[in-house]
Amino acid sequence: MADSPSQQLVDMWKRQVEEGTQAWLRMMGQGPGAAPTMDPQSFWRPFMDQGMAAWSKVMTQGTAPSPDLMTQWKQFLDQWIAAWSRVLEQAMGTDAFAKAMGKQLEGFLNASGPAKKAAEQQIEVSLSGLGMPSRTQVTALARHLAQVEEKIDTLEDKLDRVLSRLEGTPGRSERA
Amino acid sequence: MKDELFTMMGELPAMSPEVMARMKEEANRNLLRMKHFSEMVMNPTEPKVGPTPRQEIYRTNKSRLWRYESRRTIRTPLLFVPNLGISRPYIFDLMPKGSFIEYMTQQGFDFYLVDWGVFGEEDNGLTVEAAVTKILPRLARKALESSGASEMSVLGYCMGAPLSASFVTTHPEFPLKNFINMAGPIDFAHVGLFGKWLAPDVFDVDKYVDTLGSIPADMVKMGFKLLKPTMDVSTNLNLWWNLWNPEYVSGFNALNKWANEYLPFPGEFFRQWVRDFYQQNKLIKGELVMGGRRVDLREIRCPVLAVGAKEDNIAPPGCVKPLIDAVSTRDKEYVELPGGHISLIAGRGASVHCWPKVASWLAARS
Repeated sequence: MADSPSQQLVDMWKRQVEEGTQAWLRMMGQGPGAAPTMDPQSFWRPFMDQGMAAWSKVMTQGTAPSPDLMTQWKQFLDQWIAAWSRVLEQAMGTDAFAKAMGKQLEGFLNASGPAKKAAEQQIEVSLSGLGMPSRTQVTALARHLAQVEEKIDTLEDKLDRVLSRLEGTPGRSERA
Repeated sequence: MKDELFTMMGELPAMSPEVMARMKEEANRNLLRMKHFSEMVMNPTEPKVGPTPRQEIYRTNKSRLWRYESRRTIRTPLLFVPNLGISRPYIFDLMPKGSFIEYMTQQGFDFYLVDWGVFGEEDNGLTVEAAVTKILPRLARKALESSGASEMSVLGYCMGAPLSASFVTTHPEFPLKNFINMAGPIDFAHVGLFGKWLAPDVFDVDKYVDTLGSIPADMVKMGFKLLKPTMDVSTNLNLWWNLWNPEYVSGFNALNKWANEYLPFPGEFFRQWVRDFYQQNKLIKGELVMGGRRVDLREIRCPVLAVGAKEDNIAPPGCVKPLIDAVSTRDKEYVELPGGHISLIAGRGASVHCWPKVASWLAARS
């Protein structure tokens, strides 16, 4: 059974997963101040063996999966995803990852900033030529409206305070 | 003849009745899975969210104050302050029997919700300070007026907790009865991955805001998805596994709708939020100033409850709990409940662990 094609396939897949994880962790660990290499075995070993045993049973028995096996398979997948989640969380918690993400964002801003500005200017000119309001104009109008509304709200607050003082009550407005 | 036809098959193994019954059940479930999947794909229906009846009490710019229908048997009303931007507030009133607001109103609380609204480009000048010193005091005042009560409890969820804490400490005239922090970060030194990614040496918030203006919803979504990259895989796996269950499917549809509706951040709000809270951690240090007044958490002298979620990776328990040591009241309690950031307040687990705890704690002090 150890040498059966299905078992060989399982062993090969298992090796690939472990090598892939190691490569990923090496990549995250590159650069100055890199975190010490994490041991994926601590995540994978406890249930990989269990999952592989279930998988081998499915492949070698040659019968349709029973509901028990389906439940076990689902549990295996849940644990596999949870393991991946922990590995990724550890990798993303490193300084190297944060720096890499920061550099990528900066690159995006450096590229998109001028492009966005140029596109906006072009659109403004085109819309102006067509006699249509631009996004900037509509936004400015909305901003004016919001400011007017804010002024009205402020006046309302002041009026509430004055009325409360006139009524001699510790004003509703003064309470808040 | 029969033997000639079936000579290729060996003897079928004998199966116990239990195994047969379970295989039959699994086969039925597979049929239901296919049926529900085809309905989801061919005939998608918009899930109905926000079932609890409510009334708009006040509106200012994009923000609204909602009052929910309730028997109002508990004297002190409750003002719920959620996060500004990021996501829609109907997660707190997602569906019948799956709604924190419905539960609280059934317990008799006079429930007010601050709905910050969806901010546009014209609101890019809105700062954290404006939200804390103008919008929130106004909505809180209107809630108090509407209820006719002399005091009010405040519950801040997620970002709403530091915002409402900043409000109550800089407005001592507000008659605060009780304060609850639910999954709200207070000490940003222990805020997890976001703290790492937004650190000043790797994230230039000024350049970000000056270039983009506002933070688009897609970028907000990307940031939260990155916190848990395997979430979509496990969600879809669980969906497939439970697709036979119509209740699960309707719950999934509602939650999925919410989970895909992200909101943008006003630019200046994002700048101040990242700089003052994440990067400089001013709140817990007592260095935060709002409207010319220092935010001093020791000014909170009313009963305080802080609720952390064990598996929260947005506001880990380590950043929620410090509120307890920072306030000067003696009636204070910290609880750590099962769940993540969202499942703390929304979902089956929330109805078992969180809601009864919050309701009983608050009712005893209202």
